[in-house]
Amino acid sequence: MTIYRSTTKTILFSALLLLSVAFSNKAVAQDGKALFNANCASCHKLDKDLTGPALMGVEERWGGSREKLIHWVKNSAAFLKTGDKHANELFNKWNKIPMPGYDGILSDADINAIFDYIAKGAAPAPTDNKAAEVKPVEKSNNNLLFGILTLILAIVAFVLINVNSNLKRLANEEQGLASSLPIPFWKNKTYITIIAVALFVTGGYLTTKGAIGLGRNTEYQPVQPIFYSHKVHAGVNQINCLYCHGGAEGGKHANIPSVNVCMNCHKAIHEYTGPALVDGNGKEVNGTEELQKLFKYAGFDPKNANNWNPNDAKPIEWVQIHSLPDHVYFNHSQHVVAGKVQCQTCHGEIDKMDEVKQVNDLSMGWCINCHRETKVQFKDNGFYSIYEKYHNELKSGKLDSTKGITVEKIGGTECQKCHY
Amino acid sequence: MKKLAFITCIATTIIMVSCNSSVKRHPNDAYIPDMGYSRAYETYADHSNLKEKGIKYNNMPVAGTVARGEDFPFPLAHDAVGDTTNYHLSKTVPNPYDSLSETDLVEAERLYLVHCGICHGKKLDGNGPLWKDGSGPYPAAPKNLITLNMPDGQMFYSITYGKGQMGSYASQLSRKHRWQIVTYIKEKQKAGK
Repeated sequence: MTIYRSTTKTILFSALLLLSVAFSNKAVAQDGKALFNANCASCHKLDKDLTGPALMGVEERWGGSREKLIHWVKNSAAFLKTGDKHANELFNKWNKIPMPGYDGILSDADINAIFDYIAKGAAPAPTDNKAAEVKPVEKSNNNLLFGILTLILAIVAFVLINVNSNLKRLANEEQGLASSLPIPFWKNKTYITIIAVALFVTGGYLTTKGAIGLGRNTEYQPVQPIFYSHKVHAGVNQINCLYCHGGAEGGKHANIPSVNVCMNCHKAIHEYTGPALVDGNGKEVNGTEELQKLFKYAGFDPKNANNWNPNDAKPIEWVQIHSLPDHVYFNHSQHVVAGKVQCQTCHGEIDKMDEVKQVNDLSMGWCINCHRETKVQFKDNGFYSIYEKYHNELKSGKLDSTKGITVEKIGGTECQKCHY
Repeated sequence: MKKLAFITCIATTIIMVSCNSSVKRHPNDAYIPDMGYSRAYETYADHSNLKEKGIKYNNMPVAGTVARGEDFPFPLAHDAVGDTTNYHLSKTVPNPYDSLSETDLVEAERLYLVHCGICHGKKLDGNGPLWKDGSGPYPAAPKNLITLNMPDGQMFYSITYGKGQMGSYASQLSRKHRWQIVTYIKEKQKAGK
């Protein structure tokens, strides 16, 4: 009986051991990645230098000694004092930025798991081939074709009209009717009228269009010094408009970000890997090359990223697109903070534009129309608290709260609101 | 006959005019340009040659002054490369805010979401849209701000001067906003524990 019991015990024990080994192996392999992402990834990457060196092949560089590495990870300052040559060289090479100690945070097993993960190397990220295959949309220009067609039609019409008049003349002669002498077409009143009317209509249209278009720039889409895609930044990567254009809630201008704001992210992001970029003319743009332009302005060397000095940056001269004449006052913060108007209301779907273009004409009629239709955001808005009468009338139901108070009602169409 | 002629000529005109559809790379002319463009120096006017024109202008605030509504300056300067003295000293700088009023908290959360959430995540878990568990475009893992054990002053130092891969946010957030965001993070940490 005792023998039987002990054998069952051994079998059970070994089974448990086997199980635990099998499970723990799996757990360790996964843990390595998770632990790396949680503790190391903010300064280290496997294949690229960040704040700290790239970790691929770190064990070979350290002479294959895990013990040294574990000591270093736990307390790098203490390890430096042991006078290890490689460690001290590294420390000096990386601007003497100390690596934080992980003693008490990571156990030996944890650190081993991380180094196992590093040794295996990260599984190659699934490459998105579809993105590369997207061909730029080719905009065909049909203007020439339409022009030729129009010309052919005009000639056909001219010939047909001539044939018609000749046939009429012949028919008349056949019947013995007197027919007038053929008039050359430059003396023919019909032709003269047609040309005069055509000139008048075309000229009138172009003059009116030109006059209205003075100072208005709908569809204006200039070439910028760097192909910066709002679609990639504000659309795909969901960066808030105010991250870069914070001035829109602080004052008159929605400021253009200075180079240091670009470098907040691009100090670490050196290449573009998203879907193909296409400019307004249908030409494909290389995002990584555009980033090189930014680095040139910033005085930044991607190979020596940790020694970048923001004072070396030179401003980028972006081309202004939206412009109001000097005789009208427009304030961004009034609209964004007090009015709670979305950026897209005036600027269009910026988050879907690779190259920004002006969507609205920014004419006075366009401003006034919006002021007539837009309801003032009265609710929970300190800016409009002085309109007590309106607040009371809305509350008592004297004013229809579904219709609300338009901007016009609080003086939003008075001349001196914008012109003074 | 004449009617037909009128219709053809109007149709031709419309076709001719509508044939103008390429990308508009140049702006239109302005009407009375001296009223269109500002004579005074506007924000993005060329300020580079003011001195040559004999114009005395300093766009930096006067030393020792504090803007109305702004917090007092941070007492520590940015460390030189390879030095960490002030970074460690910043642990001792106290946060001027013990707690935030309800409206300030909402405002601080909004500012956090605009400026920090893109990397550190809506939930402060270090998993914002730019990192996305390592599949986003940003190569470095942002810190998990819930578990981050960092004194207020050091947090302020890091936001002001940058730390590791993170850049300086001094140009985007006022000192007041930075302290309020630090307080917001601390309040979230308390709630998360």
